[in-house]
Amino acid sequence: MKATGAYEPIFAGERRKRLDDVFTCYPTKRAALLPALWIVQQTHGWISDEAMTEVGQVLGVTAAYVKGVVTFYTMYHQHPVGRHFIQVCTTTPCNLCGAEGVVEAILEHTGCGDLGATSADGRFTVIEVECLGACGFPTAVMVDDDFIEGVTVDGVPELLGRYP
Amino acid sequence: MPALLINGQRVDAADGATILDAARAAEIDLPTLCWYPKLPTVGNCRICVVSVEGEDKLLPACAATVAEGMRVETESAAALDARRGVLQMLLERYPADHLINGGRAEPRNEFEEYVVRYGVTPRAVAAHELSLRQGDERPGDPMISHDMSLCILCTRCVRACEDIQVVGVLDVAYRGEGAQIVVGADGDPDKAACTWCGECVRVCPTGAIFEVMPRERFGESRVAADRVVRSICPYCGVGCQIDLHVKDNEIARVTSPTFEETTPNDGSTCVKGRFGYDFTQHRDRLTKPLIRKGWVRRGGRWIWEGATGAARRGGPWQSMTEEGRGDKPAAPPRAIGKRIRDLSLLERITADVRDRATTPETWYQPFREATWDEALELVTQELTRIHADHGPDAMAVFQSAKCSNEENYLLQRLFRGAFGTNNVDHCTRLCHSTSVSAMQDALNTAAASGSMREVEEACDVIFIAGANTTETHPVFGVSLKRAHERGAFLIVADPRRTELAARADVHLQMQPGTDVALLNAMLQHILAEGLENWSFIETRTHDFDTVRKAVQPYTPERAAAITGIPAELIRAAAERYARGPNTTTIWAMGLTQHLTGHDMVTSLLNLILATGMIGRWGAAMMPVRGQNNVQGSSDMGAIPFAFPDYQAVADPANRDKFARVWGVDPKTMSLVPGLTVTEMAREGSPVKALYIMGENPIISDPDIAHAEAWFRTIEFLVVQDMFLTETARYGDVILPAASFAEKTGTFVNTERRIQLSEQAIDPPGQARADWEILVDLSNRIGIKSPFSSPADVMEEIREVAPAWAGVTYARLRGGGLQYPVPHDDHPGTAFLFADRFPTADGRALFHAVEYADPGELPDDEYPFVMNTGRMLYHWHTGTMTRRSRGLDAREPVATVEVHPDDAAELGLADGDMAKITSRRNSIVISVRMSDRVARRQIFVPFHFREAAANLLTNPVLEPHAKMAALKVTAVRLEPATVPATA
Ligand code: SF4
Ligand code: SF4
Ligand code: FES
Ligand code: FES
Repeated sequence: MKATGAYEPIFAGERRKRLDDVFTCYPTKRAALLPALWIVQQTHGWISDEAMTEVGQVLGVTAAYVKGVVTFYTMYHQHPVGRHFIQVCTTTPCNLCGAEGVVEAILEHTGCGDLGATSADGRFTVIEVECLGACGFPTAVMVDDDFIEGVTVDGVPELLGRYP
Repeated sequence: MPALLINGQRVDAADGATILDAARAAEIDLPTLCWYPKLPTVGNCRICVVSVEGEDKLLPACAATVAEGMRVETESAAALDARRGVLQMLLERYPADHLINGGRAEPRNEFEEYVVRYGVTPRAVAAHELSLRQGDERPGDPMISHDMSLCILCTRCVRACEDIQVVGVLDVAYRGEGAQIVVGADGDPDKAACTWCGECVRVCPTGAIFEVMPRERFGESRVAADRVVRSICPYCGVGCQIDLHVKDNEIARVTSPTFEETTPNDGSTCVKGRFGYDFTQHRDRLTKPLIRKGWVRRGGRWIWEGATGAARRGGPWQSMTEEGRGDKPAAPPRAIGKRIRDLSLLERITADVRDRATTPETWYQPFREATWDEALELVTQELTRIHADHGPDAMAVFQSAKCSNEENYLLQRLFRGAFGTNNVDHCTRLCHSTSVSAMQDALNTAAASGSMREVEEACDVIFIAGANTTETHPVFGVSLKRAHERGAFLIVADPRRTELAARADVHLQMQPGTDVALLNAMLQHILAEGLENWSFIETRTHDFDTVRKAVQPYTPERAAAITGIPAELIRAAAERYARGPNTTTIWAMGLTQHLTGHDMVTSLLNLILATGMIGRWGAAMMPVRGQNNVQGSSDMGAIPFAFPDYQAVADPANRDKFARVWGVDPKTMSLVPGLTVTEMAREGSPVKALYIMGENPIISDPDIAHAEAWFRTIEFLVVQDMFLTETARYGDVILPAASFAEKTGTFVNTERRIQLSEQAIDPPGQARADWEILVDLSNRIGIKSPFSSPADVMEEIREVAPAWAGVTYARLRGGGLQYPVPHDDHPGTAFLFADRFPTADGRALFHAVEYADPGELPDDEYPFVMNTGRMLYHWHTGTMTRRSRGLDAREPVATVEVHPDDAAELGLADGDMAKITSRRNSIVISVRMSDRVARRQIFVPFHFREAAANLLTNPVLEPHAKMAALKVTAVRLEPATVPATA
């Protein structure tokens, strides 16, 4: 998706410095693609086509290659998302223990309605993801960078309350 | 050399060969989809699987290396089963309803051929569980479009774009069942730096990526050609071999022969070669001879009864100056990324750009159609009369770097033999004439020493001086990029940040015209560091001491002050250059088109000689020649000082030899070198009768307002061309000529490769091949020309040109021959000067040169330096490319590149109209902001009649070669007051 309005380069000033620091941790610039994309996503909340092109230019890879990477991972957003991004695991163990109900409850209480859609107040976006690696404590949920185990349908309102 | 058994047949394979290589070498057929010659192997489609004894799994033949004693079965039941499985799986996403009934319908492409061959029955699309594939489709693109429902994700296109073209427009994005081919980040090929080369079209096995034009003209189905004819691309000096697919006497499409054959292009072409062929079918093509109204035939003679004085050559057109200053459309939005039907009505109208540059209907008014007999009779009468009245000096000819060797040979033969004049020249004058003069002085040669292939394969350092190779010689430019990718060190000296400069390891961005200071300083530093090649200097050259002394004062610091390049970079470049071990030196117009062009090339040759970077595989000296046959036309004597094969006209022995072969009296031939192009067309020139074959000097000459004025005063002008060009409109007689596809002939590329181009289609109407016209005319004028085909002409050429003695049409089929080819069994010469130079004692000569400023310097009144040159999508004066629909759609209007900071200062933005004024003239032109140019420099391409860069250029001539200083013009830039119309 295209950015709206005039495009301001992301890697300028302080963010450019951060990226240059990141470069020092990798053998090639190309290898720093994932962290570079994180910087973009932290800045804008999502990664526009223009940003992919800029990342490509800065790292010396093609825009199409960057797009290939961005679209491969669910963790990068190609559209604007809500202030809080909720990922619910629906792989078999969590699912057996009621993950689908949790998803429904979250969709209802956030007002998002549909997976991938953003609530009208711009607060939440919800998606389903594959195993989060906490199969012993279903249902596993991530809200932004927080990892929450053992979420139940009843616990949903309280959980959401923590993210104004 | 491992030996293996394939299907019971013993096959000796090369070490490291794959099973596929071994099978193909033994002519055992194996299916492949993701594998493609020259592309990196990915082994992802699994159609090529074979059974190998002792392996429990099938192996992909394209990815498995052979081993001694291997036993391979290519058609085992397991392999066939697996292949069917692969095809079946791919068909689940692929629309092949037309193949359902046992393949009764025709397979449309490579993939479907396998489906039919292996007897796989597709399921109807309606029954598929998965939807058809999607992807970016390049809507509105005039040349290349995609139908991604046909994509089988073999990724050939991705690898072709990335690894052959080194661009990387395409990639696979999304995952799982959503995986698809994308174009850049947002689907816009323009932003992703696509060069429209069509390599992706060539490699796609399903037609998911396809050419737009053939479909528009011949319908959706695959264009089944009536025949396919080998030809040579009519554009640049790379000399790509192309195949013309002919349907109903029209070129339906162009492909390039696969790289198994040794062609200069290895199967690639650039956008011009692949998509720039439709000018041959343009409605502007001349189909009958034209005679200017006013010529009437009375009592068996032609007499002029028309207007005299200035009106003699008038017509209903604007002069170049008026057109240059007039208002004109600003740059329209490019028709890329939008479907044509989505464009606003206005844009839709301007999207058909064909009528912008083509011949206005009114231009034909001053002419009447004539028969060939009338036209040639008039030409014969007037040329003979002016010769009789005014003598040989009044006769002159502009030959053509776009015509074949045979044609150029015949034309200079006519003028030298019948009219005794050496006023014979062509556009090389404005191209590599300074290279030729400098190379003749130093090495007594006039061509590249090496081959393009050796640069890609074997050089360690590439030094490019003043050549924008990726735009002007794209296929060679791409091989330079591949060499760089393989690890060659790239140094680019250019005032502009061209594509190669941007990717170079060192970019020496100098002030325009200061190259001598830079090159002398590089040599100074090399000597200071002791990096010169002493044994080479001592055994292969003379006069090094003068150069050693001359470069002494050029310290990197002093050069830095003159050129603006940091001294450190000069040092670094010099050291890398000298250390090689094999350094290739490439140059073009950026060095030659200067007031000091001869000196610049000389200082470059000094650098080459002092480091011994010549005469080894990988150490090539490459002046890249601009036009498809600029090398050949020079070789054929289309230059004022030499007969064919550079045999001096001043030498009586040469004169006598040619007089004998041509059957003329040697006393009627001239021993004096003639005038150059730049001297013929200017005030005070003695020329009264001028014959022009396929050139358009009114756009390509410097200071064309004056050139145009001169053309109006000439006594008799004949123009032989495909179109009524800006020059032809002043002619007395216009002879309609055939295009490259409509005649047979040979052409010489930039690496001395003589190649054969065969006739594919008939010329339109009564147009005739240039050679036929010239044979007819020669016979009428009285110089016997018993040639009934170009091959006959070649027989005479090889009789008179020692370096061509072994050239015959039969030998040229295939990869052609690199001259010298001194006898019938000689294989040709890939690189020259391994142990001697063609000078009297075999040694090269150093010549000391000093830096002098480039002539016209910027000042307060004219603060900018204007550079002129070419762009990727256009060619020379635009007569062909502006009549090629796809090419013209990419660059429909004249633009000037301005640095964004300069533009901001002047209040100019993209698409605004600006006025450029030099000391001679002014033009109005559309602005394109670009940081490819440095501050206070602008770049104007010279292809555009309506804003002709050469109205502004300086006609001052370089003293050795009479080159014009086209690269440095002081100008003023300001917003145009002329209202721009949409
Ligand atoms: S036309 Fe050439 S540059 Fe453009 S996508 Fe195809 S291969 Fe790449
Ligand atoms: S578009 Fe053609 S070449 Fe590219 S992946 Fe698809 S089928 Fe292969
Ligand atoms: S299945 Fe949910 S965390 Fe592993
Ligand atoms: S051709 Fe061998 S795996 Fe595709």
